Amino acid sequence: MLRLSLAALALLVAAPLAAQTFPSTPPPPGDPVSFDIPEGRTFTLDNGIAVTLVPYGALPKADVLAVVRVGNVDEGPGQTSLADLTIPLLTEGTESLSGEAVAEAAASMGGSISSGAGLDQSRIGGRVLSEFVPDFVRLTAEVLQRPTFDADAFERTRRDVLRGAAVSRSQPGSVALAALRRALYGDHPYASVILPDPDPIGAASLDDVRAFYDAHVGPARTRLYVVGRFDEAATEAAIREAFGDWSAPARAADPAPPEASPIGRRVVLIDQPGAAQSQVSVAIPSVDPSEAEQYVELQVTNALLGGSFGSRITRNIREDKGYTYSPFSSVSARFRNAYWAETAAVVTEATVPAIAEILYEIDSLATTPPSAEELEGIQNYLAGTFVLQNSSAGGIASFLAFLDLHGLGRDYLEDYVERVYAVTPADVQRVARDVIRGDDALIVVVGDREIIGEPLEAFGLVTLETFE
Amino acid sequence: MISAFAPGDWSQGIPPRPANPASGRRYAPDSVSTPMRPSALVLALVLAAGCTPGVQVLDAPDAPPSTEPAFEPLTADELAAVEDTEFRVPVLYRTLDNGLKVVLSEDDSAPTAVVAVYYNIGFRIEPRDRTGFAHLFEHLMFEGSENLGDNAFDDLVQRNGGVLNGSTRFDFTNYYEIVPANAVETVLWAEADRMRGLDITQADLENQRGVVSNEVRVNVINQPYGGFPWLDLPQAANENWYNAHNFYGELSDLEAATLDDAQAFFDAYYAPNNAAVVVVGDIDPDQTLAWIERYFGGIPAADVPPTPDLSEPPQTEEKRVTKVDSLAQRPALAFAYHMPPRNTTAYFAMGLLTEILVNGDDSRLHQALVSDAGLTAGISGGINWPLGNMFNYNGPMLWSSWLVHDASTEPDSILALIDREIERIQREGVSPEDLARAQVKLRSGFYDTVGGTFGLGRADLLASFALFDDDPARINRVLDRFEGITPGLIRRTAQRVLTPENRTVITLEAAGGGT
Repeated sequence: MLRLSLAALALLVAAPLAAQTFPSTPPPPGDPVSFDIPEGRTFTLDNGIAVTLVPYGALPKADVLAVVRVGNVDEGPGQTSLADLTIPLLTEGTESLSGEAVAEAAASMGGSISSGAGLDQSRIGGRVLSEFVPDFVRLTAEVLQRPTFDADAFERTRRDVLRGAAVSRSQPGSVALAALRRALYGDHPYASVILPDPDPIGAASLDDVRAFYDAHVGPARTRLYVVGRFDEAATEAAIREAFGDWSAPARAADPAPPEASPIGRRVVLIDQPGAAQSQVSVAIPSVDPSEAEQYVELQVTNALLGGSFGSRITRNIREDKGYTYSPFSSVSARFRNAYWAETAAVVTEATVPAIAEILYEIDSLATTPPSAEELEGIQNYLAGTFVLQNSSAGGIASFLAFLDLHGLGRDYLEDYVERVYAVTPADVQRVARDVIRGDDALIVVVGDREIIGEPLEAFGLVTLETFE
Repeated sequence: MISAFAPGDWSQGIPPRPANPASGRRYAPDSVSTPMRPSALVLALVLAAGCTPGVQVLDAPDAPPSTEPAFEPLTADELAAVEDTEFRVPVLYRTLDNGLKVVLSEDDSAPTAVVAVYYNIGFRIEPRDRTGFAHLFEHLMFEGSENLGDNAFDDLVQRNGGVLNGSTRFDFTNYYEIVPANAVETVLWAEADRMRGLDITQADLENQRGVVSNEVRVNVINQPYGGFPWLDLPQAANENWYNAHNFYGELSDLEAATLDDAQAFFDAYYAPNNAAVVVVGDIDPDQTLAWIERYFGGIPAADVPPTPDLSEPPQTEEKRVTKVDSLAQRPALAFAYHMPPRNTTAYFAMGLLTEILVNGDDSRLHQALVSDAGLTAGISGGINWPLGNMFNYNGPMLWSSWLVHDASTEPDSILALIDREIERIQREGVSPEDLARAQVKLRSGFYDTVGGTFGLGRADLLASFALFDDDPARINRVLDRFEGITPGLIRRTAQRVLTPENRTVITLEAAGGGT
């Protein structure tokens, strides 16, 4: 690094009228600047709620986020989407505020309060101007602890969920995701929630909603995060006052994670007659974040293979072949569960060639380790984007919630960059061979069966599926 | 960058979002370890304009002569406390001899930086027989320059730990890199290399025509609500071709584009005197300025063609258009009003009316249509929406809004509810409390824009104010303009702008089956 810096200096000295001599090679980067994500302060209330306060940034705003360990994963048989009927109702009226009053209160603090269910976690909160953070903490406590589950709001939410489900059914990306999840998880909520069956949604009652809330929402399952610019003392006082007395029955046991089916190469086809493009996914179950070291190896491999713009698959099927606009691969992680998938919308005629190229790239990485130079570029990319992800208040809050879900300590955050750089070319090859396993990958296609149905048999047994 | 509504782990029955802005070619880095993909990287600089709450400032009478000793000067801590409440963006503004505008803004919250190059050429003034060309050309800017071959630009940025993208909007095309702060000089060099000249082949052109055609297919043709309403409303509401053509481009026009077209377009518009370079982040402004002078200073200025007449004739009666969507399963409704000219009092009032009408769950239309009538899951809208915000355009513009509804609901009954809310404002105005709340929301939203997308939001505002107003420091004053807006001005603006005669309505018929 020292030598590079001296070289750059020499150039500057040699060319005082710089504009006349445009260098033909890029100036090397300067010395990296380290980034320590501010640690903040964590404390636990008597009722078990862990609170993390992180002062960060220059903008006069802060994120207040309550994360409750409840989600679609807690839905029992016949309860599809019950979490989506329950959690959004929290902001629709409380013992002391109507739904409209809740919205107005949040707006007058320069924000809005939202509550939404995810697969494993629900998130309640928002971002407000700094001076209103303690007020917003109190508002969050109110909606979380004293919702009234208004009947009109319930009917409206039901209609919204049904509408959203109908819209999803018309989107090839959602249909492909639903098929992929069904192949991996059967009728587990991780799968059924993607294109939910309208019947249980129509049959759900307000009593079901109340029972779901009573069983799953309480202090033992809740964590609070405040990140940004705010008055720490006033905020802590507001948290202790507004959340300290919350009591609720002990938490139910965490639901067991599903066992992802062992795959073996096969093809699932969903017919979309006349489609201009095929929505393609190639997927395989993988390690999840709780196995930190292997998970980071998988992330490095993913970024090199398909998870970054300069990755092999993207370069191949987008830049070289022009089959697709936005291919990408990622590791999709839930609690104690994850899979790797490459996804692309490709022109119909290129469906089979695109899949062949994806499998070729997996295979070639499984056979030959990448060069140290290619790997180093990917490592720099992951290190750089890791800083970006954690360089906003919302990003930090989300990342802390991720660590807590997966039971990862702060060392995961601190060691992440080091772990990324510890991955070797041989590691990448091993992960491509033993984890991503192209020969066992599940292939999902939403497209025009008449044109692509038969050719797809080249990849294995083709099962035709539908969604009603 | 287009991010069509991408289903993912968090897609739980939320209403579809329109495909984001026309353009962009890269995707955001997948969030390797966070539970949500940072779709924040997507350039969704959704409207936000801000304002300080309505504080009454009275002219104070002269103080009587005092015998008190002079006040002690404030201590450093006290000064800091005062500054805490007044957020200011540092702005260093220079114009180089070749006409290049340079804006630098320091922020050391994290060791990252945004390098953004904005060219003052948007899709509305692309050649007439080459619809979609401005956007296609944006793609070509990644295909090679003198010292950067195929893919070399992407490689360079990614290898240095950064992400990049470009996008094409009404009045500018931008290119940006979000990088670790130590890589700023490297990417400035790369941006300068492509401002100096392109080095692309017929094969590059054909490849990118393919990529763009796929982009149009995935975001418009094969997508329910594709292009609705952001491509449809300008075509329906505007009369002047510049404002009313298909900005993504007809596939036949894209096919007709040649390398000569590309060279002519580059020569005309991609000159330093038609551009702004903005760097935001953990930088040394003097050092950064020296780099920019070094790498960009030698690029010659060009004769940039004059901007054509973009003006729209006044609309005198309501326009109604129907669109059939063969993929959508639920009908939708979109409507738009022609905006008053940028930077007029009515324009600022429209910023506040956006807060009052559609921004947030407390807004009038949300309360009327979502909470009370339950006709839709959500309504969105605003100025230059959804392609940008009320600051990053320069010409005629629409105030647009849309919603998805059930087949059993007549569009006219929804319009009647919308009109009822608008007429209430036209008749009664708004209360001081409602106006104050709108001002707080606007200020808060403005800060979100300034802080958005790792500093890109700040760069976007600075570039827009530099290109369109020659005054990037406006970023620190523009909020004041909303403070002077009174309930009476809100009422008069609603009376003048939000009228049926000034409105275009598109009803989308869902022919994709379903219920």
